[in-house]
Amino acid sequence: MTSGQPLIQLRGITKEYQMGAEIVRALRGVDLAIYGNEMVAIMGSSGSGKSTMLNILGLLDVPSSGQYWLDGQDVAKLSQSALARVRGRRIGFVFQTFELLPRQTAIRNVELPLIYSGATPRRALAIEALRRVGLEDRMKHRPNQMSGGQRQRVAIARALVQRPAILLADEPTGNLDSRTSEEILDLFDVLHGEGQTIVVVTHEPDIAQRCRRIVRLKDGQVEADELVAQPSQAASRAGGGLAPPNAVQQPGDAAATQRTDVPAARPDR
Amino acid sequence: MLFFANAMNALEQLFTHKMRSILTILAIVIAVTATITVVSVVQGFTRYVSTFLEGLGTNAVFVGPQRPPGEAGKALGRVEMTEDDFHAIEAHCSALRRVSPMIPRQGVKIRVGRDEIAANIEGVAPAYHTIRNFPVDVGRPFAVVDVDRAQQVCVVGREVLRKLDLDEGMVGNNLLLDGRRFRVIGVLASKGSFFGQSLDDVILIPYTTALKMYPVFRRNMVIAAQAETAEVVPEAKAQVANLLRRRHGLEAYQPDDFIVQTQGEILAAFNNVGNIAVSVLAGIVGISLLVGGIGIMNVMLVSVTERTREIGLRKAVGARRRDILMQFLTEAMTLSLLGGGLGIALGYSLSSLASLHPQMVDVVVPLWAVFLGFGISAGTGIIFGIVPALKAALLNPIDALRHE
Repeated sequence: MTSGQPLIQLRGITKEYQMGAEIVRALRGVDLAIYGNEMVAIMGSSGSGKSTMLNILGLLDVPSSGQYWLDGQDVAKLSQSALARVRGRRIGFVFQTFELLPRQTAIRNVELPLIYSGATPRRALAIEALRRVGLEDRMKHRPNQMSGGQRQRVAIARALVQRPAILLADEPTGNLDSRTSEEILDLFDVLHGEGQTIVVVTHEPDIAQRCRRIVRLKDGQVEADELVAQPSQAASRAGGGLAPPNAVQQPGDAAATQRTDVPAARPDR
Repeated sequence: MLFFANAMNALEQLFTHKMRSILTILAIVIAVTATITVVSVVQGFTRYVSTFLEGLGTNAVFVGPQRPPGEAGKALGRVEMTEDDFHAIEAHCSALRRVSPMIPRQGVKIRVGRDEIAANIEGVAPAYHTIRNFPVDVGRPFAVVDVDRAQQVCVVGREVLRKLDLDEGMVGNNLLLDGRRFRVIGVLASKGSFFGQSLDDVILIPYTTALKMYPVFRRNMVIAAQAETAEVVPEAKAQVANLLRRRHGLEAYQPDDFIVQTQGEILAAFNNVGNIAVSVLAGIVGISLLVGGIGIMNVMLVSVTERTREIGLRKAVGARRRDILMQFLTEAMTLSLLGGGLGIALGYSLSSLASLHPQMVDVVVPLWAVFLGFGISAGTGIIFGIVPALKAALLNPIDALRHE
């Protein structure tokens, strides 16, 4: 399943913000590799830089320094519109606050990425995505007519509708009660079982325990990168999680330089 | 597809903020309404006056005595136009096809039996019927012999007959004109009215007869003429001017002691009035559009700020800068075009309403004014929508998503 080619490769990523007079160093040199079909939790306390890292992974933010290869492509070399294209087609983003358009129905929210990519048939693809999250009977509902868990599932359907290489989730259960959180995590397990690469940012250990690998950040640096021996659920399910975490410690210069000419692993296709 | 999605979005936004949208487009509605109404009314008047002036006669040229203004004018001796001038113009101006004197006399007493009214009379030559496009539809027009012999015959307008409570049976009968007996030989075809003034309230008599009755006009004639073709009107004008200058013994430094006006010049003078109206309109429209445009810009800036998170989300799911730009430009355009549409409808209604007034000319909204209305409103939308749209398009995705 996993090739030698990481889906995501970070080297020496730093991010600094200007906050008033002082400069906040959110990331201080992060090296990380994530392979196809991994399910990775990024943990850390508030202010550890985990959200910043996820935003950089999702191409919503640009690092201050360091390199980021996505599918072997150095993203620093991408134009604004190429970045938008990659955000739309290769990355699915799930937010803590769902970020659904409040006046539009579930199906129209899910169709949104397809409008920008021009993929067709839009309706059928959106219905298919809603089916994957089990909401095919809520297509015509608006966000305010749905529960929090249903809204988050609509958001996940929106993230999945383009069949992205990576699903990035930023505290996806942060606004949900524990029972609903469970539903969302079960859904992630199912998606992971289907081969979806997932990166989840969380500060809740139980959630992290359901992933195959946990990357702990502290003060903007990777403090620990460990495999979970026995994921708390669905442990028997066949799947990824075979990625050697020690790859992180050896990003490999050779690998980095020949990145662009190696065909990318496409675990989603 | 994206355009369609943008338009749908824009309409949704508009319906969500009905009050705000209506207030925003008000100034544009006013601007477009003013454009449509004023353009239509000015056009209506212009057409009306053109029709009237064309009724003056095809390729008509009018010549009359006129003392030039200022010292040069005072230095001239008598300023006059005589029957000899008329004959000279008739004989020597090759670019003119027909020439006739025009001796007007207003408020002449007309008497038939016991009825007496006041009417305008004009002393003319037979050519006048053609020059002024004033044919006779009952009886006969003037003949050369009527003029040569200064006979007391007349051709009456329909309005005169109406005022006297008479009909076409008058032809062959007599009436008293300033106490003199005139035989009615014909009735003029109706020309209608101009700004409420009947054009048929006139009696034509031979100019020779008129000169006998009112000798003061012997030195003060107005001459109406018709040029051979439209192309030679300027040439005809020059011929008349040269001839009269020679005949009046004017030196090169002296100004003309007469005026030669062509139908086109009269039309141009009137069009000038129309142009002033259009300039005033342009001022109103310009100010309204500025106000309207600023309103749109303001509302769009508010909209962009309110929807910063939405913009961030759209960028996160793959919207490019130009997609966001187009989305907000479409929204601004929808607002302004809606204003334009309402303005056109309102202008149309106002024009139709104006037409209902009996004294009012027929007002028709020209198609190009409708396009102009849409054009200026769309232009306003683009010009004033571009700044907010750019602001939205250039937002950094993560900053937009973090916006509170």
